[in-house]
Amino acid sequence: MTAVTLASPGAAVRYAPPIETELERLVAALGAIPALAERYPLRWLAVQLLEGDEHLLAEAEGLGGPAVTAALAASRERLAPHYGEDLDVALVDQRYRFVHTLARQALTRPAAPPLTLSDRIDRVVTHRWLGIPIFLALMWVVFKLTTDVAAPFVDWVDATLSGPVSGWATALLGAAGLGGSWLESLLVDGVIAGVGGVLVFVPVLLALYFALALLEDSGYMARAAFVMDRLMHALGLHGKSFLPMVVGFGCSVPAIYATRTLDSRRDRILTGLLVPFMSCSARLPVYVLIAAIFFPAQAGLVIFGLYLTGIVVAIVIGMLLRRTLFRNQPPAPFVLELPPYRLPTPRGVWRQMWERTAAFLRKATTIILATSIVVWLLLALPVRGGGRFADTPVEQSAFAALSGAVAPVFAPLGFGGWETSGALLTGFVAKEVVVSTLGQTYAVAELEEAAEAAPTNFGEDLLGIAGGLVSATGDALQVLPGVIGITLETPEEETALEGLAAAVRAGFEASSGGHGALAALAFLVFVLLYTPCMTAVAAARHEFGSRWMWVSIVGQFVVAWLAALLVFQGGRLLGW
Amino acid sequence: MREVTIALAGNPNVGKSTVFNALTGMHQHVGNWPGKTVERKEGRLILGDRQITVVDLPGTYSLAARSLEEQIARDFIVRERPDAVVNVLDAANLERNLYLTAQLLEAEARLVLALNMADVAAARGLRLNPEALAAALGAPVVVMSASKGQGLAELKATLRDLVTASGRGVRPSLKEVAQ
Repeated sequence: MTAVTLASPGAAVRYAPPIETELERLVAALGAIPALAERYPLRWLAVQLLEGDEHLLAEAEGLGGPAVTAALAASRERLAPHYGEDLDVALVDQRYRFVHTLARQALTRPAAPPLTLSDRIDRVVTHRWLGIPIFLALMWVVFKLTTDVAAPFVDWVDATLSGPVSGWATALLGAAGLGGSWLESLLVDGVIAGVGGVLVFVPVLLALYFALALLEDSGYMARAAFVMDRLMHALGLHGKSFLPMVVGFGCSVPAIYATRTLDSRRDRILTGLLVPFMSCSARLPVYVLIAAIFFPAQAGLVIFGLYLTGIVVAIVIGMLLRRTLFRNQPPAPFVLELPPYRLPTPRGVWRQMWERTAAFLRKATTIILATSIVVWLLLALPVRGGGRFADTPVEQSAFAALSGAVAPVFAPLGFGGWETSGALLTGFVAKEVVVSTLGQTYAVAELEEAAEAAPTNFGEDLLGIAGGLVSATGDALQVLPGVIGITLETPEEETALEGLAAAVRAGFEASSGGHGALAALAFLVFVLLYTPCMTAVAAARHEFGSRWMWVSIVGQFVVAWLAALLVFQGGRLLGW
Repeated sequence: MREVTIALAGNPNVGKSTVFNALTGMHQHVGNWPGKTVERKEGRLILGDRQITVVDLPGTYSLAARSLEEQIARDFIVRERPDAVVNVLDAANLERNLYLTAQLLEAEARLVLALNMADVAAARGLRLNPEALAAALGAPVVVMSASKGQGLAELKATLRDLVTASGRGVRPSLKEVAQ
């Protein structure tokens, strides 16, 4: 590599003679004011003032007083015959000409640009017909990765938390003379069951963020936006809107903020209304849990189908909105830069995985912890029957009463049980809580037994945990070839969170009149489509105002309710 | 000895962070710009017997102060007057990157141009002429591929010459310039 060092005086931009004359006059006028001469490079200040930088003008006037205003006005007056109102445009334009000349000196372009590897990959990946199938195939690999490969680790974390960790907590409290107290109930049933139920999905998220980081860092995401541009046009949007949509697969909140990159307010609001239908990663734990219970053999397919459903719903709603609320407003033109492909570095990928998972963990320790404790409190408060605080049957608790009051809304959808409607209620706060609430409402009694039954030997427990991790890694490695599609190995008939599974299955069977699987599917569709979380609502209000926030909340609820109704009642009509 | 400060400026996605990491290694401090939500990265670079503070400015396309990032970068260059500004450019998109360079020159920053991603430019058949650029701008130009570690030694050597030789690393104060 070369380094060139020269000591000749620098050549900055030279503007057209009339402008240069005025710049000289301005520099002289500004230089007469010591406060300005000490603070700013004067020629630079003169250029900025002529270009119409109001922020800087206010500062300069503050320091230099009316002399600045007068000098600037006089210069503008003399330049008006040359440039009219477009002095700022002229300055930028002349700067670009300087840059263009500079670039011509510093760079020789080849007569025929060689076809780079990036170009060759793009010929295939952004092909007119192959582009979309390739995009879908890549998404499929991502979801296989997040389900099958992560599953053994999910089981391991779950076994560790519900076994040894709960056991240790119980033993510690027992040693402190607090065994069987409400504090033990709060810790084991509230905190460990609640936050633990969410921590279980850290492996799933790590896998998802790993895949997303690879797609982003390699440069493929920009291609995905390009490929999806045509589809986006059907929604009255363009490819640029696809980037917030893709971000929406991770989290709706940054996705809503990412709509700022769009040029018109119409595009921003329309995209912001559709983004929540993209299935955010916080919903994934719900899918993984329910799919593992009801559709263990096709969990990957069900989850993939849900993501696809979200996209289809967004397309339909987008077309609907374009013909109603957003009529007569054409989309702005679209320019997208495709960066060259780059090999993702392990460090960069790891940083993204870690930062995003850490953000999730922060949420787990704040919102989810708080919600878990509130739910535990409502569960502990008896409103009927003869139970005492922290020792009341679940169905007689305040939480059951509250959820039971809402439950009839969901009865036509097949999941009118108070346990599920309670989970959907807390899910409005954050989707991560749905799983932990289900854990609390369905499995309170069962977890307590497990914790009490477990004899604790710290050393043996640690050995067991380590052994579990080793075998989980082995299981994951076995599944790996299946992801890429070399062998289609059927996953073991092993469900995550075994204790919860039976209770959830029984609950759905009861609330749906024997159509448990169908009701579970309707439940998943509802979870997919209704309000992602409180934070997303706050973001929508921040970006689009309260009116659009309410359009968003009510609209999503109605869409979710109708879609779930369609799945459940439609499925029953078809005889499932 | 007076403390020497170097700022890194450049468009987004030109490998500025890679250059910053390579210059400062583990000696980094990450915080926010005062009163702003934009991340401020600062690090230490040891050149010979000199300890130099390296400040990573936010990636911007111009210094027009339309966005928070641009305002931060501009205020730092104009107000804090760093002893040198390393302008990192994407050699494969030179023309677009040079707009910021033009504005940096106008702001009378003492520039060192780092033509990064030379490997990408070469793969596209672009032939760089750093001598012509250096002559036109009156600023040292270093050709580099920071992600491969190429050109970093040259950049450090250029910076060392700049801070030790001319004016003992102290740029003339603005008063002198104004007179």
